[in-house]
Amino acid sequence: MGGILRVALAGQPNVGKSVIFNQLTGLHQHIGNWPGKTVEKAEGTLHFGGYTVDIIDLPGTYSLSAFTIEERIARDYIALERPDVVVNVVDASSLERNLFLTLQVLELEAPTVVALNQWDVAKKRGLQIDVRKLEESLGVPVVPTVAVTGSGLHRLLERVIEQRGKKSSFPRYGREVEKKVRILEKWLGGLEYPPRWLALKLLEEDEEVEELVGEARPEVLSHVRKMRRELEKTHGERPTVVVAAERYSLAGRIAREVQTAVPAGERLSDRLDRITTSPLTAYPILALVMLSLFLVVFQVGGRFTWFFDSLAGRLEGLHWLPRSALGGILAAASVALPYIIPFYLLLHLLEDSGYLPRAAFAMDAIMHKMGLHGKAFIPAVLGFGCDVPACLGCRIMETEREKTLAAIVVTMIPCAATTAVILGLVGKFVGLPAAVALYVLHFGIVLALGRLLFKLLPGEPVGLIMEMPSYRIPHLPTVLKETWGRTMEFLKIALPLVVLGNVALSALYETGATGALNTVLSPLTVGWLGLPAMAGTVLLLGILRKEMILILLATALGTANFSSVLSTPQMMVLGMVSMLYLPCISTFVALGKEVGWRRAVYVAFLRVLLAIFIGGLLYRALSL
Amino acid sequence: MRERIEEYLEAMVRLKEVGRELTTTNLAKLLKVAPATVTEMLRKLAKGGYVSYSPYREISLTAKGEAAGKKVLRKHRVAEGFLRQMGIPEERVHEHACGLEHHLSDELEEAIHRRVERERLGAPENMLPLTALLEGEEGAVEKIMGGRSACQRLSAMGLTPGTRVKVVKSSLFGGPMLISVRGTTLALGRGIAEKVLVRRD
Repeated sequence: MGGILRVALAGQPNVGKSVIFNQLTGLHQHIGNWPGKTVEKAEGTLHFGGYTVDIIDLPGTYSLSAFTIEERIARDYIALERPDVVVNVVDASSLERNLFLTLQVLELEAPTVVALNQWDVAKKRGLQIDVRKLEESLGVPVVPTVAVTGSGLHRLLERVIEQRGKKSSFPRYGREVEKKVRILEKWLGGLEYPPRWLALKLLEEDEEVEELVGEARPEVLSHVRKMRRELEKTHGERPTVVVAAERYSLAGRIAREVQTAVPAGERLSDRLDRITTSPLTAYPILALVMLSLFLVVFQVGGRFTWFFDSLAGRLEGLHWLPRSALGGILAAASVALPYIIPFYLLLHLLEDSGYLPRAAFAMDAIMHKMGLHGKAFIPAVLGFGCDVPACLGCRIMETEREKTLAAIVVTMIPCAATTAVILGLVGKFVGLPAAVALYVLHFGIVLALGRLLFKLLPGEPVGLIMEMPSYRIPHLPTVLKETWGRTMEFLKIALPLVVLGNVALSALYETGATGALNTVLSPLTVGWLGLPAMAGTVLLLGILRKEMILILLATALGTANFSSVLSTPQMMVLGMVSMLYLPCISTFVALGKEVGWRRAVYVAFLRVLLAIFIGGLLYRALSL
Repeated sequence: MRERIEEYLEAMVRLKEVGRELTTTNLAKLLKVAPATVTEMLRKLAKGGYVSYSPYREISLTAKGEAAGKKVLRKHRVAEGFLRQMGIPEERVHEHACGLEHHLSDELEEAIHRRVERERLGAPENMLPLTALLEGEEGAVEKIMGGRSACQRLSAMGLTPGTRVKVVKSSLFGGPMLISVRGTTLALGRGIAEKVLVRRD
């Protein structure tokens, strides 16, 4: 006995899947990305019954269609990587909707165990589930669990070990669909995926499967089309809808057979739900939540920055090479530790408690004007503090398209450091109205860009369809572990890049290459933007940390009284360019992590072009 | 007299909606009357239990007043939608609606609302878009219109033909609506909710 057992956790969002993952794996876990994807992958290990159990937490999805990348990752992992056992985590308090996914897992015919989670919540709601009957209907073991207390998990692992090597059986759908699947499966053998699954996916118009079969067995597609037409004719619905309805009718039938409901009174969760979705109370609550989020992240975080600043002070006097390398480490740490940790902590708390969807619900109409989803409101507000956590927060978006859109727009929001530059330069020496004007102009550009991206980004914009899960108390150990894992993941990517950038730019400075650089850039900086030549290096070094722009400017000019050296248009242009051009290195890393490196480089490049273009126009307009 | 009371309550709900303070001045401006007239009317409203009011303090609507005001405002908007569809020029829509709102019974308002929504979306005669259901109303999904992605998403979330739905909260300021379906609550954007056709109970 013994050996390695690969177990995949599959389940819908908000069913407590990540709590089960954390309870099982403890500290032996690792958060990374799926290869070549911007979707998070969590893996962990545990030892049980003489086995080393490797657990993969698949992305939470409502279905296994090809609609989102998450769904494709989940189904391809089960079908192609063939884990020894799939554990399907199901919310016992919402059985019917969850069984919709369970049936799709069974369609893949992998060995499966169902974890009937939130068993306690279901009981409190007056729902009784006959586990034996459910096992019979599904043909796989079912184990009631309460993830937050860990109850049932031991039994779950026992059943997992028993179940290995035992294929689950394809669900029995209606005769009409069943007949068509049987005909099609004969032609679909020998491919990577199970034939019956391919057959059903073809019937329900699955784009990816259609492409795959189109290449391998093109002759099958004409039959498929004929069958789809038959389905559409008899049901008067798209085949997609017919097959989904088929699954739901089976899920509903099973749920009705195994579950008895005793009416329960209104619970605290329902009352909370009401006050967070009624406009009169929802908006004040949202404002309060955002304010405290902002205060905690930036007040608490801000308290710690002195520590890093004092450490940075000690580096003075070192040789420039170690100084810039250590400075880079400090710069990365001073963003990650004080800001990212509290932010992730609070974001996870909001997410796991169920408040996030309510906030998105309240803000959806307004965010739509910018081409964004209601959920993007929280990262957008945080962007005013620091764009790094704001960008990392965009992972809460549902589809790739929405995440990319939100991340690009959110990282354009002027962060606290950029605001300091605008206020310290334009606000102080030109006047507050001028600073406000720059902001208005900037947000006009961001708004226009958001709408433009909304049109340009690939993928069909599907309106808001969002589950409103019941409120519940977040599981603190899970929240802490996820915060830690994600922060480390960010540091791992950011650290080398920030250090390298710091060293490279310091090298320029120390070797006296800045003069040459300024000359090279002068057609742009002097000729087009109307700035003094030294602005070239100042802006370049500003990428490290935006607040450096002011300090460097004062050093290069030899005075902090900018108005004595720079003209009003020059200060305005410098301010505008500082807002628009490249995000700081840390933000760039966050952007790369959320939307992919190719797109991040693209965005950075376009932002530089935009900054140059707008800056030049502004200079000419102001000099008239 | 009833009409004037409704006019005032509607104006106050409007002010609240856009986040303006409820003051005599703001009310006078919105209703295009003298502040003294407003003050006099406010006393009457306070007597009727619609507002709580004492001079030089901010006015606040009572629950009764707010409900009455919201009802009139809703009728006003339903009337506006109807008038637009009848081809009344935009600049006169508001004026006509101001007259109509006081004479629409609840029953008539509902009937017009449904017809207006249906016309707007070109849905078959016996089906209504989900957006036409009022808060608390129930129905069954009849058909899902729209492209493959929308169909896939909606049916995956359980909105398949025959499914029972209940409107928990209707759309506000063009925002999403909340519906209860298969034991869970879903938020649906207005655009996508319009693609779900239902038969009302």
